[in-house]
Amino acid sequence: MSGLAHLYLPGALTLWCALFFALAALWGYSQLLAGDESARRFARRAYGFFALSILLATVVMAILLARRDFRIDYVFQYTGLELPFHYQLAAFWAGQKGSFLIWLFWGALIGLPLLRTTGRKLEAPVMGIYTLAQLGILLILVRESPFLMLDHAPTDGQGLNPLLQDDWMVIHPPIMFVGYALSAVPFAFGMAALFRRDTTEWAARAFPWALAGFLVLGSAILLGGYWAYKTLGWGGYWGWDPVENASLIPWILGTALIHGLYLEKTRGRYRRANLVLAALVFLSVLYGTFLTRSGVLADFSVHSFVDLGISGWLVGLMAFFVGLSIWLLATRLPRLETAPNEDPLLSRGTFLVLGSIALLTSAVVVTVGTSAPLLTRFMKDPGQVGPEFYNRVNFPLAVAVAFLLALVPFLTWRGETALAALARKLAPGAVFAFLGAAAAAGLGVTDPFHLTLVALALLALATNLQTVVMRARSGGLAAAGGYLAHVGVGVILIGFLASSAYDQSVKVTLHQGERVSVGELALTFQRFLGREGRLRERAEVLVERQDGSSYLAYPQIFVNDRTRQLMVHPSVESFLLADLYLSPLEFDPGRAASTLAEVELAKGESRSLGGVEVAFAGFDMGAGGNALAQMASGAPVTIKALLDVTRDGVTERLEPIYRFEQSGRVEFPPVELPGGGRLAIGGINATAGAVRLLVEGVAGAKAGSSAYLALDVTKKPLIALVWWGFYVILAGGLLAVVARARQARRLDAAPTAGA
Amino acid sequence: MKRRRAWYLFGGLLLAAFAGFSFTSFQQNLTPYVTYGDARSAARTVQVAGALEAGSTDYDAATSALHFTLRDPATGDNLRVRYEGLKPANFEDAISIVAIGRYDGATGEFAASKLLVKCPSKYQGTEVKEYGA
Repeated sequence: MSGLAHLYLPGALTLWCALFFALAALWGYSQLLAGDESARRFARRAYGFFALSILLATVVMAILLARRDFRIDYVFQYTGLELPFHYQLAAFWAGQKGSFLIWLFWGALIGLPLLRTTGRKLEAPVMGIYTLAQLGILLILVRESPFLMLDHAPTDGQGLNPLLQDDWMVIHPPIMFVGYALSAVPFAFGMAALFRRDTTEWAARAFPWALAGFLVLGSAILLGGYWAYKTLGWGGYWGWDPVENASLIPWILGTALIHGLYLEKTRGRYRRANLVLAALVFLSVLYGTFLTRSGVLADFSVHSFVDLGISGWLVGLMAFFVGLSIWLLATRLPRLETAPNEDPLLSRGTFLVLGSIALLTSAVVVTVGTSAPLLTRFMKDPGQVGPEFYNRVNFPLAVAVAFLLALVPFLTWRGETALAALARKLAPGAVFAFLGAAAAAGLGVTDPFHLTLVALALLALATNLQTVVMRARSGGLAAAGGYLAHVGVGVILIGFLASSAYDQSVKVTLHQGERVSVGELALTFQRFLGREGRLRERAEVLVERQDGSSYLAYPQIFVNDRTRQLMVHPSVESFLLADLYLSPLEFDPGRAASTLAEVELAKGESRSLGGVEVAFAGFDMGAGGNALAQMASGAPVTIKALLDVTRDGVTERLEPIYRFEQSGRVEFPPVELPGGGRLAIGGINATAGAVRLLVEGVAGAKAGSSAYLALDVTKKPLIALVWWGFYVILAGGLLAVVARARQARRLDAAPTAGA
Repeated sequence: MKRRRAWYLFGGLLLAAFAGFSFTSFQQNLTPYVTYGDARSAARTVQVAGALEAGSTDYDAATSALHFTLRDPATGDNLRVRYEGLKPANFEDAISIVAIGRYDGATGEFAASKLLVKCPSKYQGTEVKEYGA
């Protein structure tokens, strides 16, 4: 715990106020839970003040950053005078403490609309549990305060990691934290329902929140992928890095949850599973935070981690919520009424469950993979698994999901659809899928598993698109959000496959001005451009394609001013069927062929330099008085060299001088060479009795080396489908949020209607 | 009811098969951290970590082959490493290097397919960059 004197008081005060009001809100809600109706107003107010305190803490932090107040340790560590204003502010979430603060900020704010939409019955337990979750993060911040002050006021900070100085940094992390904050809402609803032993309402009320979480977290993941692909030059949109996985796992589980909630709402089934899923989404966020922020994976990730000394707190936080979940689930779940499963195999309900199982399985394998360093620590040698593992194990699951999605639009809840009728409905889509797979085979996809995935993904795309169009025509587009999202899944699966299994990458070294053929491309490194304002150093590469078209690519490669770190930004050019991705690896400016030569000559020696013969006859030590006496007395010393220079058969005596003082000051005025060029004494080797001469303006004095650029040239087929698929999924999610929020509001309008 | 049970059984078997598939994939893909001694005798892909021995770097730009020596700070043990690829930027500044690959008995070198180079950085102390496929 830091001493009082070392904290920035206005900031620290807001956190302590927040702590006080959070505890007050908890006390109020516990009174309300005990049946004291009058405590409701108190608890709500206390929560309001809690949120206000956190808002103030955030504002104080933002002001400190904006003012570049380097007395504050956090500001000192992550910012610097050279940062433009938007990066200065974005440094808010550059470090651990600021990240926790922005997370808490969103969490506190989300609580405000939440407490009005829980319904009177559930408000006390939901808000109690929700406030507990906020309290957990707040405690970390109180212990490791972001308002820690230095005992001096540095004039400049240490600067922001150059990798983070990117426009995506301004937007990607805060959105991610909205998603994390939202994950606590379905959790609070689920646990509250268990606590109350009343699961009639929670699902309908939690549904829009779960959808919103799915949407926001999904958007954040998409932005992160974009960032990695477009500017970081990591070569891809997804590297299965622990930090990336930490956001993916809750998203997959959240996807399973929204499907489960849908099933519960429409069929009254899946009640137990949903409660477990709601707990898992939140716990996976906590677990991911633990993995990536405690330093346990420090040796295994591209992202940077360091142990702030909060591992213990994170473990404690996780243990508390895991314990709470297990206790509530174990004591309440077995007695929970749920509709018996009587759905036939070919019914929407069964397919929904199977899909959720596939998602859950995927979440489990990704979790196991990400935890490999921890799991194997208990064995002899800790190790990790690479992207191949994730790609391999998720492949069969992707095939299964594509299959389920393809059939689902034509299945009914009761499964009356006869096989023959189903086949008839599937026929148009199947023809499309077959043609698509045939085209893929023609383009070089020969792996039967890959072709299967292509065909099923196309089938899913077709059948769901058909349904969306049908719904839209009959005016029911609002209820077609799910199908629209499934169209996106079909698209994205093809994008995943094409861009991961069929990208072609080659490393090339381009010498300036040389045209190099790379596959079906010809690349010419034309020139290197210096910095212009905010535009950094970059290479100009002419890319000629097979069809005769060409473009100029400008991959950037530069050294960060502060950290001297080498930074690269790839050039990405999108074409209809593929992206061309040029990522710089190395740049050598080369040496221009120089006319400056350096030669050392002993007495009596001669050397020929570009048509000029230079002979060294000896030193004249008396050119400016007795040199030896001058040397002994410490006075300036002047030495003259006697040179016989022959050019075009004419010999001329040149006598350049070299003057030096005890202080280290040296003078060596150049003399003109007959026929052009200059010569000067660069130094004297007293022990060898030799002179070092600098000769300028003599042709061919020194050979140059040409500049070169090393590039990673990658062709990424159909990568646009990844982005487009994602947009469509999120658009579908958005439609669904709107539709479900409307339904949840109806609950309040008719409170007696029940679930 | 009987058919339902059969389907459950089928699903269970499918899941079990998947679990087995995942487990073997996990094992095949796992690259354990080992000592240099174990790396020399291991018949699989492993990772070794260490500090760059000063002045041991030898890079041939024409063939883009990088050779360097890793030193284990704990034991002082040395391991010569070969990496076929462009030399990572700021390579000489690395505070620690993780090499992933396998030992090549013929040349007595550790043939790395991937390097993780940890450089000093302002951002939370260090920064790790990945090179290679």
